[in-house]
Amino acid sequence: MAHEHLTYDDLLRIVELIKSTEHFSEFRLKVGEIELELRHRKSGAPPPVPPPVKGRVEPAVPKPVEHAAVPRAALATWPESSVVVRSPMIGTFYRASAPSARPFVAVGQAVKPDDIVGIIEVMKLMNSIPADVHGTVAQILVDDAATVEAGQPLIVIQPDAESERQYE
Amino acid sequence: MLKVNGNMNNSSDNRFDFIDVTLRDAHQCLWSTRMTTAMMTPILGAIDRAGYAYINILGGAVFDVCVRYLQENPWDRIGLLCDHLQTQCDALTRAQSLYTFELFPDDIVALNSHVLARRGIQVLTVYDALNDNRNIESSLRSGHEAGMKVNAMMTYTLSPVHTDAYYVQRTRELVTLTADFISIKDPTGLLTPERGRTLFPAVVQAAGCIPVQLHSHCQSALAPEVYEIAMKSGFRFGYTATEPLANGASLPATEDILARARRLGLATSMNDEALAEVASYFHWVSERESKPRGEIATYSADLYEHQIPGGMISNLRSQLDTMKLGHRLPEILEEVARVRHDLGYPILVSPFAQYIVTQATINVVQGERYKTIPDEIRKYARGYYGRLAAQPSAEFLERANIDPSEYVTEAPAAHLEPAIPRLRAELGSAATDEAILLAAFYDRRLIEPLRNPAAECRFRTTPLTELVGFLSNRSDIEYARVRFAGTDMTIAA
Repeated sequence: MAHEHLTYDDLLRIVELIKSTEHFSEFRLKVGEIELELRHRKSGAPPPVPPPVKGRVEPAVPKPVEHAAVPRAALATWPESSVVVRSPMIGTFYRASAPSARPFVAVGQAVKPDDIVGIIEVMKLMNSIPADVHGTVAQILVDDAATVEAGQPLIVIQPDAESERQYE
Repeated sequence: MLKVNGNMNNSSDNRFDFIDVTLRDAHQCLWSTRMTTAMMTPILGAIDRAGYAYINILGGAVFDVCVRYLQENPWDRIGLLCDHLQTQCDALTRAQSLYTFELFPDDIVALNSHVLARRGIQVLTVYDALNDNRNIESSLRSGHEAGMKVNAMMTYTLSPVHTDAYYVQRTRELVTLTADFISIKDPTGLLTPERGRTLFPAVVQAAGCIPVQLHSHCQSALAPEVYEIAMKSGFRFGYTATEPLANGASLPATEDILARARRLGLATSMNDEALAEVASYFHWVSERESKPRGEIATYSADLYEHQIPGGMISNLRSQLDTMKLGHRLPEILEEVARVRHDLGYPILVSPFAQYIVTQATINVVQGERYKTIPDEIRKYARGYYGRLAAQPSAEFLERANIDPSEYVTEAPAAHLEPAIPRLRAELGSAATDEAILLAAFYDRRLIEPLRNPAAECRFRTTPLTELVGFLSNRSDIEYARVRFAGTDMTIAA
């Protein structure tokens, strides 16, 4: 470090020294042209909150998914004859194609097998969930935009009796 | 202003020139695209002096991260960088998808070209993830109209259908489309010297007088060798990054490729002193920001099976951890290779990398293949995004159950209505072209924060300034005295 200009290499080495001596209360360094003297705050004294540094943004760390809340689904019951549409994956359940759009289905609505009853967003991709059965929506167990587990019941459908369907 | 003089043909003068990716792909691969404008500005002078032919400053992820995570107005970043760099700046888009995964109509693509040119971009680089060149036509046309040169990229992958003849055919299409440059883009670093020896001369020959560029990543650690084969085959340009942000998932180091070019006796125009300054600055910024530096990868044969780009593997790992599926990564990687085959070899590049990985994850978790198929993958299989390289497997088609009437054969953007009249009506006549484009790409909620005043940028810094900044940002130091070359400075809490 004995030269006229402080270089980035010097800086990296100085910072490395400072970081590796954090547990000492004093730090003094003299190499060539540079002299550095530091005093660490005594442990116990609360450090002042550093001012926010403009122009530096911390990367968005993905928050761990909270364990999916399943209050209604956990308590809900349905007749054995019902068909339960379950989430294929851990993801986010949407009842409509866009925040402003009408929900795909509502309780009491008749559905056909290809009708979309909801969307599960998995890793940013949209998975349309079909009813897979002729019937009537009996219960919707999960709120819009809720996190769901793989296999979690989403919607309960009361299937049509065989005889009603053949006249469609 | 023109840094590259005279004849730019592949064979001309035995030259090899460099395109910098430090401000774009390097941090996209190593720092999840989180380099802010304020981290760039102090070193622009040195980057400018380094002798690059072009500086790539924009790509889909950079634009998106500016908006979503950094809350920086991407147009302002582009303008600021172009204003402060004498070297010509290059902007990359995903052609008809621009910066996102959706398809946009031709009027949006054209407006984007004009907005980029007005902000000072001189080279528009475009690629289509399916190598369906119908998807780059409107970028080429509007890029030329806006006065930019257009660099058309072909994306490399390893599959039974992506043969040398396939790439020669794509090159011929690009010659017909009058691209100014043709690039081979290898997002996962799959190219080997052996393949380069047959593929590169064939592409150079088919490109005729259009200069050819190489853009390859270092995940297999073979890229520097591959660049050498490219130079020997008559490639005119290579994309590289400053040494601390090169290698690993990133591109090769400029310093490394430059040494190889010199050894081959090729003329270059790089300035070693400026390159060293850029490198030492980014070594320091990596330390200051606690960001990783690029490390030379070790060769792994698995890479050639799953073909997932490096930046994406780390992303996938953290996504799986969030879903408590981290332990199933090896299974998912194996399934990725099979899904890729089943889907007709889409290339593991945005957005299809995401699609394939998600389908593989769903297949593994459900324990039944293609029980659930994301809507985007159905669209892909219908040809909505463009021509497939090969027919999907019977197993997939049977599960997807696509009606023959749903297949799209026309050019992907042909079915899209112009969007500008609607957006102008919504935003009012006072809305700028830049505002129109942001509204086409993003929800209002994401655009709103971009109005906040930009962070202050410094255009020079010194190691001493950085040292003082470092000390004053540390809450555990209550007193610091720095004496250096006549300066004596004390800071105390």
